[in-house]
Amino acid sequence: MPRADSCQSRSLYIPRDATILSVTELTSREKLFRLRLSDGSELKHLPGQFIQLSILGYGEAPISVASPPTRQGYFELGIRRVGSLTTAMHALKRGDKVGIRGPYGTPFDLGSMGGKDLLLISGGCGLAPMRSLIQYAADRKSEFGRVTILYGARSPDQLLFREDLDKWETISGFACSYTVDSREGDGCYSGSTGLITDLIRPIELSPAETEAVIVGPPAMYTPVIAALKEKGLSSQQISLSLERQMRCGVGKCGHCSIEHLYCCQDGPVFRLNVIEHLHGAL
Amino acid sequence: MKRLTQDELLQFLKSWETCYDLRVPILLPDGGRAICRLADGPLAMHGGSVPAKPTSLFFPQDGLVFAAGANGYLERVDTEKRLFIIGLTPTDLQCLRFIDRFFSTGERDDLYFASRDKAIIAVVSGYCGRDGEFIPPSSGSCDLELYHDGIDWLLMPYSDEGRELAASFNAGDEVVSLESVHGKAVHPPSAEQEVVLAAAAILQETELPDAFWDEIGEHCIQCSGCNLTCPTCTCFGVQDWCYGEHTERRRVWDSCQLAGFMREAGGHNPLATAGQRSRRRIHHKLVADMSRWGEIGCFVCGRCDLACPTGIGIIAVSREIVTRFGMPDDNSKRD
Repeated sequence: MPRADSCQSRSLYIPRDATILSVTELTSREKLFRLRLSDGSELKHLPGQFIQLSILGYGEAPISVASPPTRQGYFELGIRRVGSLTTAMHALKRGDKVGIRGPYGTPFDLGSMGGKDLLLISGGCGLAPMRSLIQYAADRKSEFGRVTILYGARSPDQLLFREDLDKWETISGFACSYTVDSREGDGCYSGSTGLITDLIRPIELSPAETEAVIVGPPAMYTPVIAALKEKGLSSQQISLSLERQMRCGVGKCGHCSIEHLYCCQDGPVFRLNVIEHLHGAL
Repeated sequence: MKRLTQDELLQFLKSWETCYDLRVPILLPDGGRAICRLADGPLAMHGGSVPAKPTSLFFPQDGLVFAAGANGYLERVDTEKRLFIIGLTPTDLQCLRFIDRFFSTGERDDLYFASRDKAIIAVVSGYCGRDGEFIPPSSGSCDLELYHDGIDWLLMPYSDEGRELAASFNAGDEVVSLESVHGKAVHPPSAEQEVVLAAAAILQETELPDAFWDEIGEHCIQCSGCNLTCPTCTCFGVQDWCYGEHTERRRVWDSCQLAGFMREAGGHNPLATAGQRSRRRIHHKLVADMSRWGEIGCFVCGRCDLACPTGIGIIAVSREIVTRFGMPDDNSKRD
């Protein structure tokens, strides 16, 4: 018999307006959108969180924030064109408006990462949410140990944030390597070829002083986790960001459940020891 | 508490029609029953729970999230009369309590509570079940209870508002209490409740082989009747409907038994097979809800078993689990 006062306040499902400040083409199917909330406020997110992107007539989709909260006045979304909403988003230009709800979900555990070496492994468009953490670490270098960035994509033309990858390599205390499954489509590519796990094996790390983060396609998790455990890392030292079809972002729609957990509320960032025993999590 | 004849009950209900959006069980032209307005058909208090999802009164199959026009979002204006709902059973009330907690935990779902917060609930119990079957009374967590003693209706108020409603009706004989009529009988769990609880205990301890779920899944024709009738199923999808410059965002019930329920934009599908989806349906109620909420999410109302054309409702699947995987001291065999 709930008897809360009748509430005419704004519904939690109504988005806030955001204005597109710029659009950068990353690949033939991915664009980076820089946005600002139209009321001038900050998004107030933390690395690892996501927003629900809303375009009237097309619905909503969960998109990870690709920029850090340390860079004020805007936030960025790296968006792959795969469906009707993302196709509509790709057609938008500077000055156009979209809807934003959030930020939602658990961020990366910055507290536990403090003072530790970070091993940040991403695949495909998983680099977009990881970029938020990488740039955060770059902006607050003194708070972290050595930062090692490993990234894998299918082919050279699908590598995201090429300029950032080269820039991160030059930051003191940072190391950045990337690889592609196949050189197909770019005869000039001179970088590494092979699986992401090939980049992990040569790394020398201090297991007790390291926090690892994995963000990538589902197929990447099992082999990368195995490679990290071979390096001496425990499940408590490994965090993952899981992708699920989050329709509401607030734990109501049921589409992102993983047994008793909701990816949008209890995740998307999980410690491996929390989810590794759950049926269907990985 | 008042004793009302069937005619007096009808008078009582009609007396609130102008003040409230009154919903009562009615007889449909096809012989079924549903909770509708009095004008929609003859009052049908007897027959037990209605087959449709009773919680749809607050979580409708297709509900407006918001509308937007050329000048921005149009705030919802609440002009409707308060809901006064008669005809939920005590089991339905347990389901309602379960989803009240679900929708209020974390971000409070304002769409659900827009109607739920103000609703008046009267449950029915006593000798008014299917074929006169006895429905044990509720624990009182509602505004009113209508208990059929085999002859008349005993109107028992529980909340302040329920007491005001009962007191303002100048008919019916005063009686002392429901206990004076019914006694303090403890009602043992039904055979169906016992089997669902036993299956839950097995699933909470044991991961059944995928082959079992595949076998259940082979029977599923993805009609989604189980989810559409279940009072504690709350999954929804979101759709935008455009009418010129006017757009409506609506939320629509969804079903975990449909192949695309969890399919992600990138193509990955954590529930790709019918077996995985059948496991999800049963596990979510009997294991995941227990972990998250401390109680299972099935109150054994029997709706999914009635709705399922292929016989894999939760009671039927529970029987199968207990028969095949129950412990020897459950008088059943372990495979």
